[in-house]
Amino acid sequence: MVHVYNCHPFKSQQIVQVEQEPGLVCCGGGALFVVATGGCKVEVYNLEKEGCPLFCRFATMGTVKSIQHSKIGDYLVTIEEKNNATYLRAYTNWRYQAEEKGRVGVRLLGHLLGGASVWGGVQMEIIEIPMSERPIAVSCCPVTGDLLVGCEKTVVLFTLSRQNQQNLQNQSQQSVQNSLPNSQQSCNPSQGPTSVSHPNLSILDFERSVILHLPKMSLKQVALCGGYVAVNAELEVLVLKLEAASDPAAAEEPLETSKSAAEPPQDQDDFLLIPRHQELLESKAKDCDILVTMEKTGLEDQAQYQFSYILFRRFSPEFFQGCRVEEMQIHSLQLYPLFTSNSLEDPTCVFCFFSLPTAGYLYSLKGGVELLSAYQYPEKVLQAVMSDHLLHVITKNALQCFTVRCSAVAARMEDPYIDTTMKACPPSTLEVCALRIQLFIGLRSVCVYNQRVILLSAADTETQQEPERRCLKLKENSVLTGIFLAVGIDPATTPALENLLSRPFLSRKWTISSPKETSTVGHGWNLYVVDTVHPFTLYQEMVEYSCRYVQTTPQSHSLRHLLSEAHLLLRACLLQTPEQKQSGQGDPAVSSKPGSNGAVDKNSATQANRQELEEALRQNSAQLGDCFSRASQKDCHLALPYYKMSGLTVAEVISRNRPPPEGPSSYGLGFLFYLKLHLLEETEQHLTQEEADEIIYIFSQSEPFLLVSVCASPCMINCSATRTLQILQRLEDTAGVSVPLTIIMAAMALRLGKQQDYTELMERHAEMQLVYGFIEEPRLLLHGGGGGGGGGGGGQHSQVHPTSLARQLANTQPGLLVAAMVALHENCKVQLEQADFVFKELGCENTLLVDFWEAMLMASSQDAVIQELLFRVASVYIDRLTNSINGSGAPKYKSLKGADDLITSCSHYGALYPWLTVLNPTHSTTSEHQEALHKLQSLLCGPSLSVGSIVPLLERLSGETLWGFSLHLLCATRRGQYESSIEQLLDRCPQAIIAYANHQLQDKYMTLWWQKLLPELCKRTRAAADNGILLGALKETLVVVAMETSPAEFLELIPDDGTASYFLPHLLTCSQRHLMA
Amino acid sequence: MTTKTSLLKVILLGDGGVGKSSIMNRYVTNKFDAHLFHTIGVEFLNKDLEVDSRQVTLQIWDTAGQERFRSLRTPFYRGSDCCLLTFSVDDHQSFLNLGNWKKEFIYYADVKEPEKFPFVVLGNKVDVTERQVSTEEARQWCQENGDYPYYETSAKDATNVAVAFEEAVRRVLAAEERTVHLIPTDTVKLHRKPRSAAACC
Ligand SMILES: Nc1nc2c(ncn2[C@@H]2O[C@H](COP(=O)(O)OP(=O)(O)O)[C@@H](O)[C@H]2O)c(=O)[nH]1
Ligand SMILES: [Mg+2]
Repeated sequence: MVHVYNCHPFKSQQIVQVEQEPGLVCCGGGALFVVATGGCKVEVYNLEKEGCPLFCRFATMGTVKSIQHSKIGDYLVTIEEKNNATYLRAYTNWRYQAEEKGRVGVRLLGHLLGGASVWGGVQMEIIEIPMSERPIAVSCCPVTGDLLVGCEKTVVLFTLSRQNQQNLQNQSQQSVQNSLPNSQQSCNPSQGPTSVSHPNLSILDFERSVILHLPKMSLKQVALCGGYVAVNAELEVLVLKLEAASDPAAAEEPLETSKSAAEPPQDQDDFLLIPRHQELLESKAKDCDILVTMEKTGLEDQAQYQFSYILFRRFSPEFFQGCRVEEMQIHSLQLYPLFTSNSLEDPTCVFCFFSLPTAGYLYSLKGGVELLSAYQYPEKVLQAVMSDHLLHVITKNALQCFTVRCSAVAARMEDPYIDTTMKACPPSTLEVCALRIQLFIGLRSVCVYNQRVILLSAADTETQQEPERRCLKLKENSVLTGIFLAVGIDPATTPALENLLSRPFLSRKWTISSPKETSTVGHGWNLYVVDTVHPFTLYQEMVEYSCRYVQTTPQSHSLRHLLSEAHLLLRACLLQTPEQKQSGQGDPAVSSKPGSNGAVDKNSATQANRQELEEALRQNSAQLGDCFSRASQKDCHLALPYYKMSGLTVAEVISRNRPPPEGPSSYGLGFLFYLKLHLLEETEQHLTQEEADEIIYIFSQSEPFLLVSVCASPCMINCSATRTLQILQRLEDTAGVSVPLTIIMAAMALRLGKQQDYTELMERHAEMQLVYGFIEEPRLLLHGGGGGGGGGGGGQHSQVHPTSLARQLANTQPGLLVAAMVALHENCKVQLEQADFVFKELGCENTLLVDFWEAMLMASSQDAVIQELLFRVASVYIDRLTNSINGSGAPKYKSLKGADDLITSCSHYGALYPWLTVLNPTHSTTSEHQEALHKLQSLLCGPSLSVGSIVPLLERLSGETLWGFSLHLLCATRRGQYESSIEQLLDRCPQAIIAYANHQLQDKYMTLWWQKLLPELCKRTRAAADNGILLGALKETLVVVAMETSPAEFLELIPDDGTASYFLPHLLTCSQRHLMA
Repeated sequence: MTTKTSLLKVILLGDGGVGKSSIMNRYVTNKFDAHLFHTIGVEFLNKDLEVDSRQVTLQIWDTAGQERFRSLRTPFYRGSDCCLLTFSVDDHQSFLNLGNWKKEFIYYADVKEPEKFPFVVLGNKVDVTERQVSTEEARQWCQENGDYPYYETSAKDATNVAVAFEEAVRRVLAAEERTVHLIPTDTVKLHRKPRSAAACC
């Protein structure tokens, strides 16, 4: 369906003073080019001046059949006929043809030598481009200035080359000098006003670079834009992407494959095949039956090209109603680039438009091929042309103006945040609408330059005289009514439309400034220049309209559509940078006077303009937010991004959504969604009590089950606790008890200082239940950190703070707090660093923090976290041990978990090695000290701690005390330093040696019994023969050695000076054991 | 509604320095400049005129006579309606070369019936006193080569310049009349027999 709004996109019209009947018209570079019917003369009018005065006039070489202007290179290209032959020509330097009598240079493509322009005076030059086939259509690339020429079965790409005048001069000096008998010669005055050299002026030429053969298509039109090539036959459109091939082999490939696949079945010609309707996008487009082959033409060192199919569309003739089959031909093929601030050279988007008499189609090509809009025309359309903001089409008797979706595509290319909760933009598939239908008589052709639409009309002889405006008025209204009916709306049933139709046709906005002396009567033709209003003005008009809708039917879909249209207009304005605006309007202006308009002024003006646009976008977003806040389930989520873009505060949004006093007090889904998400989003901005209370009221009315989450939001910190408690109580009464609800009620009681109520509420649930409650709503404990939803939003460590409930728990139920924090961490609701920060903020020295770490070690299964925590607790234990030695200021604390608890319930804490008990003193130190020592020893005995990492920390502890020595020894042992450990243990505490050896020297270390321990003991007993401890140890050792070695080995081990009688019994047991085995 | 103007392409050929550019300038701007740039390649000018109450746009093509510019000029002979062979009466060699110019033109312009093609011969610089070519000599050449009209011109003092161009136009129109009578209808379908455009040489 096509919306029709009776807006006023057209501001004023002028009539161009053309003497002869115009045949062809085209525009570009600030100029309007008019070719007289059947003539060989081009008249150029200045489109940038009031009244469009004649700028210059020049002759063409033949009868012009087609003409186009290229923005890049500022040249014109024509297809001409003379004596039944067809020619292709490019006209350069046409601006210097101000004097009609000036000579015109002519040269062949590639023959750069020639013309006065080479050596001084600037002269118009015609480049003759020889073609082996008859050219049918041309197109100039708006990005590169390259030229695409379509012949019946081939398409030829000519790349534009520019040669700097200076270069060329040097190059051709030799040959030119010969023709200059006197180099001091003065310039011919008839060559124009200047004889000055133009160093910036480059001389254009073209190079034939690629030929595409399309033997199965009979070409009608071509289009070229930044590597995209579009061609169409009567009912087919094909778009290709032409690229420089990265490797030449790849460039060959498509040629080969398509050739082999190409042969059509021979008998096909015998049938009359009615082609099916087809639309093939992107890679699927290559399945179309249009064969394309590439022929390289350029020199060897030239870039190789490869092409790919990206869009194919075929219409079946019977696809249409209401139009004769012969009339069913595709016209107005266009590739349209959209440049934005981010890419001034490379267009952000490229669109492909083409039209049938009944419908137009707009595709987006870049970043995925997709059909944006299908324009269903109410009448047969002759020609259509796109501009940045609008699509203009002409029927025989009207200029119609439709909206386009280009800015919706471009905005998304530019801003990845669109379509998130941050930002929104109406979809690129939003239904298009007709803004205006303006009557003209006998329209023939249309073209667009910036904000001007140029229309050529030529009335049929019998309707030459323009009817009175009054008649027109009536006629237009009846046409409009017809259109409404055609698109399925009966204006009589839609009051707003009826109202629209009754508006005067010519509003104050439409002014006619046709000079008196040119009466349109007398000749049957006219050349109009219709100025369109600035899109911002159009935006304002739409806003005006929307106000009327707001008053009458605020729920209507039309209001949303109108505001979306308005939004896209603003986007279109914003997408264009100030720089681009300047160059867009100034082009190589026909008569730009440097310095007349300071660049600074322009900049500040566009800056102000930009601010105005941004403010408008905020207002529009607010209105769209209002629309979506009342929208249905499907779209209501859009209220959030639009309100965000509007910059409105929550309070402002609330007041916009307050239900009218007389109406039902219901709130829109979108509004509630906005509020919910806003409250979840942990902004630091605290609402006032009134605002917070209103929000609680809103939710109690609309979504009471969300109240816990709402009350837990940090924004709500100022809400009235008494009122809230009442509301929560009522919720509990109706919805039943839930843990989070109980907790939030407890928190409110706490705020009110009702300690008793608080305790009672908290005791209603077991601690484990409470922990689950906190997992459900983490903001009961923590504020900040990106909220409870996503758990900190992907690794960024935002700060979190404990709530007052958390503070209360720290004092009264630290175990619960620690358990809850561990649970939150394990459920990814809080990160370790954030939790650390919370505990630090809670004070309590750092005991609660260490309790948290120990609890984490018990509960966590995340390896990376465990290693970090093991190191942290180990260093804490070491700190505690050093502090307790220093004695002074040793804090009194009681850990939640003792060493024994940890050893039994946490796998990272190992059982203490038996030999440690020999070393550990009993009751010699404080219990804190003992606790820390045991925990550290236990960690060292456990499987997880990487001993190496804490060695540097352990160095702070002296080994003088036995417990200190035990830790060093544990470390050394864990690191496999058994031999030195054995020596040290024998030095410091020989009574522990057998316990140590029994525990440590096993399996592959068994040999140490006789390789290290036995010789060591022998040595030491020899020195102190009366040492009972050492002798006992020696004896125990011999028992083990005798068990583990063969008699021969045992004999070897006995020291030479050993007393035989001492060793003999052991040797005996050894031999007996051996014999038995 | 509007009377159809015909576009006639007239080309000036002849040795460098005989005054082709000067003649064109004199005709179109009615000026004579002794220090004209030497022509490189090809240039043209349009002039509207009325001959025998017919609106005509004359497209006058000026070429560079020097041999080294041959490849730049010859592609543009095609489509000419009339050729003005020019020599200078004070330069006998330029007169002798007329035949070569005619040959070059017929060859590159791809003229179907050279005998019927309208040539006009101009003997320029008649204002100079030391002539090397006599009027009789020139007349005779024209007579022998196809009964071409001959005009003695001076770009310097404007003698006969306009007359010569008007004669050229008459010749063309006369030739056209003949062909129009030969071809019964002028609606030749172009796409049926696409004629190749100027071929690159
Ligand atoms: N005296 C005289 N000099 C002429 C005449 N026409 C041309 N010239 C001079 O002859 C020289 C060559 O003329 P130009 O027009 O450049 O000859 P082109 O090479 O045939 O184009 C210039 O110095 C002219 O001033 C003429 O009718 N009389
Ligand atoms: Mg010359």
